[in-house]
Amino acid sequence: MNFELNDEQRMLSESLSRFLADRYAFDKRVKFVDSPAGFDRAIWQGYADMGLFALPFSEDEGGIGGTAAETMLVAEAMGSAITVEPWLEAIAIAPALLKAGSAEQQAGVIEGLIGGEIVPTWAHLETGMIDRGEGIQTQENGGKLSGAKTVVTFGEEADLIFVTACDASGEVGLYMVRKGAEGMEARSYRTQDEQRASELTFDGTPAEKLTGGIPAAEAIGMAEAKALAASIGEALGAMEKAIDLTVAYIKEREQFGRPIGTFQALQHIAAQAVVEKEQVKSMAMYAALMCEEEDVTTRDLALSTAKVKMCDASRYVGQMSIQLHGGVGMTMEYAIGHYFKRLTMLEISWGDRDFHMDRLCDAGGLAA
Amino acid sequence: MDLKFTPEEEAFRQEVRDFIDANLPDETREYMKLGNPPTKEMTIQWQRMLNTKGWATPRWPAEWGGPGWSVTQVYIFQQENQSAPAPDPLGFGVNMVGPVIIQFGNDEQKKRFLPRIANLDDWWCQGFSEPGSGSDLASLKTKAEFDGENWIVNGQKTWTTLAQHADWIFALVRTSNEGKKQEGISFLLIDMKSPGVTVHPIQTMDGGHEINSVFFDNVKVPAANMVGEVNKGWTYAKFLLGNERLGAPRVGASQAKLKELKEIAQKRIVRGKPLWDHPRFRDKFVEAQIELKALEMTVMRVLSGIEAGADQSKPDPATSVIKIKGAQMVQRMTELYVEAAGEQAAPWIDDEGGNALVGPEWTVRAAPNYFNFRKSSIYGGSDQVQKGIISKAILGL
Repeated sequence: MNFELNDEQRMLSESLSRFLADRYAFDKRVKFVDSPAGFDRAIWQGYADMGLFALPFSEDEGGIGGTAAETMLVAEAMGSAITVEPWLEAIAIAPALLKAGSAEQQAGVIEGLIGGEIVPTWAHLETGMIDRGEGIQTQENGGKLSGAKTVVTFGEEADLIFVTACDASGEVGLYMVRKGAEGMEARSYRTQDEQRASELTFDGTPAEKLTGGIPAAEAIGMAEAKALAASIGEALGAMEKAIDLTVAYIKEREQFGRPIGTFQALQHIAAQAVVEKEQVKSMAMYAALMCEEEDVTTRDLALSTAKVKMCDASRYVGQMSIQLHGGVGMTMEYAIGHYFKRLTMLEISWGDRDFHMDRLCDAGGLAA
Repeated sequence: MDLKFTPEEEAFRQEVRDFIDANLPDETREYMKLGNPPTKEMTIQWQRMLNTKGWATPRWPAEWGGPGWSVTQVYIFQQENQSAPAPDPLGFGVNMVGPVIIQFGNDEQKKRFLPRIANLDDWWCQGFSEPGSGSDLASLKTKAEFDGENWIVNGQKTWTTLAQHADWIFALVRTSNEGKKQEGISFLLIDMKSPGVTVHPIQTMDGGHEINSVFFDNVKVPAANMVGEVNKGWTYAKFLLGNERLGAPRVGASQAKLKELKEIAQKRIVRGKPLWDHPRFRDKFVEAQIELKALEMTVMRVLSGIEAGADQSKPDPATSVIKIKGAQMVQRMTELYVEAAGEQAAPWIDDEGGNALVGPEWTVRAAPNYFNFRKSSIYGGSDQVQKGIISKAILGL
């Protein structure tokens, strides 16, 4: 049992944080989230140059063979800066989904991912989905896709879209669609947390099936698990920063002739936020380590446990941050509201609290 | 980062488990399984058994009879011992006064007291709180004046846990009224058999006799019983409280209680079906499991930091988190037992075995334990005191 980071991991975390402090200061962020694409490809290239996208791939694949611990550190730093790019799709989702493909299929994409030339996304969610991955309506027929996907992160901007769809026999598979493919239409919008997403429709869209690797259902489960674990790390980073911003604010803001941070009523709220955040830190590590567990039931229940804790903590920390900022916390101008919004969106992505409670309750809880 | 225990650690766990299975009296195990706190005799008997293996003092250095375990081993040992369930080695001796004597005591004190603490030849109790000094502990008034040969102690301590069993008390006493209130406090070891010491029981609302008032009326305490330097007792007390906080959550005990609660819920028929099949109950059970997992991971994270040589002079925010969440965890568990017992939690059971049982045996302790464990968010620095520590030491507010 060991929760310590090694030197390389510490260096990775520090250099990414420095990069983000330099390139992603809140006033700079405001500018590029307003740009037409919604994100800055130069920053994406910066991530690639730092080797972030090489982390999930082994040395044989041309990567650097990072572990879930590195993914967590990246996620934490990204959460701290509330970055908007689909980095999670690149370092957690795409590498897992690709495992369903043949060696040639994988090799054909990995290089572009590592180099930052390919921005990937995953068209997975559907409005009629029963469970994650279950009840998919999008159909593949003769190498062409038809159907509709909802809230696809950067669905219009992405170069490579992984699509979950059923073939004629009803079996769930994974397909790759290139940007601008025939018959694909995107209705795009800004999200509450200043990312971009699209409603994608496919009508006879040519797609390449990932085949020759692990079963698609397994790859989907793995991708969901890794995305969930990383999103908990991201929430941790956002909570840490939200607490920092809030504490700094109540030390400065004066009412009744003294800083409001001297009032015990506020101190105890901030202290409770630390209690919540520290537990999420433990759970982010737990999730990072458990998302690679081979027994998928054990893996999924562990991740659900971490996610429920993260949901409760996110809500507490997010809401208290706004409350302690008072009126200015309500404004678009102050950073804190943007952290609150991001935390709220993280709560509902990759299965909300009810979904994960159901999963745990149906299983009779964690194994003792 | 790695969550897995090494094969050596797993082998160690098995060794501990085998030892407990071979040596823990069935009577003790069954009694504690029903939610009863161990009796004095059970605690003494088990600690002496552990001491034959050198396991009674898990965190002590080898020089003073500790087993020289890693923090992971200590954690595994505690988890196994608590989930058996077996009595913990007496915390007041092993985790509180023992480490203070090891760290700050002189050689004579170490030789005199440590072996007797390890073997539970001396039962220790803690003389910190006073009627007027609870959360504001440093305002304590029990005073000790030096008459050239002895310290003469006068005053009153309260909430003194198991003082009725105690041979010795470690007490914070006022030895100076100069300067800051923290700077006039000393750490004194007092023989409970000294003339002038009287113990008055305090009955708690659950009907138990766990806590006491201890009165000191011109009690003579030899100069040799002063630990460390006069007027430095506050430093030693803070050291002691830090150790206490880390041991507070008793994760292993909670894991065992939750496992048992699931079995209970599966058997218990409520409104026509097993309690386990009631979704409201299942939700609460799973939420308790989630809380416990988060607590366990936080404890392991702090222990891992200590093992890796984390700077112990700075407060780790996680220790106050552990104190707060550990208290809530045990309290939550006791609430769930009351809810599982339903109306059968109602009968009052006195020490003489009073009322006839109306439900399964575990229902007897359900309500008393719920009432009793409200203490856990009050003692050892209340939740509010912990939040004060977090806001000052961590957030700089």
